[in-house]
Order: sequence, then structure tokens, then C-alpha cells
Amino acid sequence: MKTSAKAMGLGCCPCCHKVVKMQAETQQCPRCHRSFSVRKINSLSHTFAWTIAALVMLVPANLYPMMIYYTLGQPEASTILEGIATFIQFGMYPVAIVIFIASFVVPLAKIIGLFILMYHAKRASKLTVKQQGQLYHIVEFLGPWSMLDVFVVAIMAAVVNLGFLSSIEAAKGITYFGLMVVFTMLAAESFDARLLWDAQDQKPQTDDSQSQLNQAGSR
Amino acid sequence: MAKPAASLNNIVVCRRCDAVLSKPKIEPGQKATCPGCSALLYELKKNPMERTMAVSLAGLLLFFPAILLPMIGVSAAGTHNEASLIDCIIILLNTDYHIVAFIVFLFTIAIPIVHLLAAFYIAVAVHFNKISQSLLVFFRSYHVLDSWTMLHVFFLGVVVSIYKIVDLAELTVGGGLMSFVLLLICSTLVSVTLDHHYVWEKMEQALED
Ligand SMILES: [Zn+2]
Ligand SMILES: [Zn+2]
Repeated sequence: MKTSAKAMGLGCCPCCHKVVKMQAETQQCPRCHRSFSVRKINSLSHTFAWTIAALVMLVPANLYPMMIYYTLGQPEASTILEGIATFIQFGMYPVAIVIFIASFVVPLAKIIGLFILMYHAKRASKLTVKQQGQLYHIVEFLGPWSMLDVFVVAIMAAVVNLGFLSSIEAAKGITYFGLMVVFTMLAAESFDARLLWDAQDQKPQTDDSQSQLNQAGSR
Repeated sequence: MAKPAASLNNIVVCRRCDAVLSKPKIEPGQKATCPGCSALLYELKKNPMERTMAVSLAGLLLFFPAILLPMIGVSAAGTHNEASLIDCIIILLNTDYHIVAFIVFLFTIAIPIVHLLAAFYIAVAVHFNKISQSLLVFFRSYHVLDSWTMLHVFFLGVVVSIYKIVDLAELTVGGGLMSFVLLLICSTLVSVTLDHHYVWEKMEQALED
């Protein structure tokens, strides 16, 4: 079994990665002068708060239209899902798939992923720690990509403005959507992935189902 | 019981799983990964400062055309309209989407500029051995901003918009888009060329004296 730095009384500076002997709960890094603690303080509560905030934003982001499209003076508002449905109707499948993944699947997957990680940081789980680490990596990596639709609306609103012929305006939903993306990114940032390994180490080896599962995985 | 400080320099701690490992010996151009969770421990790069200087300077210069020149233009039935990155933000401000305008400005202009500036300043200072306390502040901000640049996402946004507009009206691609693609390449290359490990070691040596 590996030894964790925490068990050895060592800390690793989150900024410059210098290994130091922890003299107190929180201390300053001798190399980059950033103060840090062995684990991010109240990591889980922060992650939880940002995730809930993102979840709350997800509702208006999907209910309100992202943009209003005027053709010959006729306004036409569309939410994210309606927009995707229109693309499918017109046979523009590649765009429909990209938008669907970036602005619907990814945000939802990110929030669910964060909840799974938070749950597993509390107790050792059926998922191997390596899988959880990968899950965290995915959540972190996906972060910025859901901004896609916000950028698209901004570009479309700026470019498509052809007088009475047609024009595009941003609509209410875009604000909630943008905030939702920022909140999930903050949630992923405040999560301390090392808690997953801590939870695994705390669990005594008496858990039979756990060890069997690990053996099955390594075979 | 307390180990001498020197031994701490021979070990690394994995940032993801907190494993304590003895420091692997690697050559420039190689990477060291954690055997437990396969996270990147650190890597050594070839000519890190010279390359970072060149790439970040190019990126900074490209910012002006990328922001100010029109990216795409559309024309239909005698009317023509084109928009640059800055126009996108102005339109959002004019339609009272202040939060969204701010988010777009932050992720596509403010953070990438500071990110590149910090990288350039660090590379120049370390290369010419002018290491001061203020460099710490810059390098720390570089770390914080690393995961918050969204130039690549914005670029995909432009591509999706082009795809959407193609059927609607006649489309022209402006010089802004070309500069933006080059800027995107430079900003991505900076994180490839800048060697964090090297910079921190240099800084530590210089500031100890
Ligand atoms: Zn540090
Ligand atoms: Zn590891």
C-alpha cells in the first residue's frame, strides 16, 4: 500500500508543488509564499455549494430562450432544446450533435459527476480510486466546453443583423447558462481530488466485497 | 525524527492521489507520471525559456488583429454586416446582457492577455536572470489562469456560427479569424513550452541568495 504525504506529515504546495514538512494546519510555502493546508479547507462544502448553484441555474438556462431570431420582423425565440430540434428538422445533424453535447449532455454530466465525486469522497466505493480520478479529470476537462453556446449566441447576435430581413438577439437564458458554466468550473476547482484516496485509505481492509472487486479488476 | 530538509528535495508528491514517490531522474523532453493514478508529476522541456519568449510575444502581437479585425461578415439582399470579437461584446452590452458580456470578455480577452503577458515576463526575466519577488506574483497568477482560458471554445463557437449562417446569407471570413487561429495556436503552445519545474527551481536558487 502506498504512503500518502498527509500520513507522513508532508504537504505539497498547490501552486509550485514544493514538498514541505507541515508545521501547522495552514502554512506558507517557502518557495512561492502561497499559504496552503494539507487538504483544501472545507473542500466538500465549497464544491457542494457551487454544484447546487449550478444546478439551480440549469433550470432557467433550459426554460428561457437562448436567442430570439427575427425573420422578416417575426420574432422567434428558442430554448437550447428547441434550437437543437430545429437543427434536426433541417437535417443539420453535425451542428445538432455538437450543440446537444456541449450545452445539454456536458453540463448535466458535469453536475452528476460532481455529485458522484462528492459522495465517494465521503466513503470508499465500488469504483476503483483510479476510475474516480479519471472521473475528476473528465469533469475538470469538460469545464470550459459548455461555454460554446454562449459564444455562439454572442457571435450570431453580432453578425446576423441584416435590418428587416433577419436579425438575432440574445435572450434571457444565456445569462443563466453562462453563470451555470462558471459555477460548475468553480465547483470542480474547489474539489480536492486527494479526498478520494483518503476515503479509500481510511476504509479498513476487512471489506471483502471491496477487495474482491479490486482483484477482479486487476486480473 | 525530523528528516533533514535536503531529503525532501529527492521526493515528489502526486497532486492528485497524494502518493509520496522518490524523484525520478528524467532527461529534457521526458515526462514523469504517477504509477498509482497516472497523473503527470512533472516534465523537463527543451529550451523552455527561449521558446516561451518567442511564442508568447507572437501571441501578444496577434491579439490586436484578432480582437479588432472582423472575424466573419454576412451579406444578403444588398445589406452587409461584419463583426469582430470586440463587436460581440459591445452588442451584448448594448442589449443589456452585462453579465454575459463580462464573462465573454473575461474568458476570451482579459484572461488570455494576462496569461500570455505573465508567460512572456517570466520567460524574459528567467532567461536574463533578473529574478525578483514580483516574478512570484506573476507566476502564481499564471498558474491560476491556466485553466480559465477559453480561446479554443470560442473558436469552435465561430465554426458553429459559420455553419449556421452559411444557409442564411453569403458569408465572408475576415482577417480577424485568421489572426485568432494563430493566436489560439500561440496560446496553446505557451503551456507546452513553459517548463514550470525549471522556472521554480531557478527562482528558488535566485531568491535564496
Ligand atoms: Zn509553493
Ligand atoms: Zn498519483
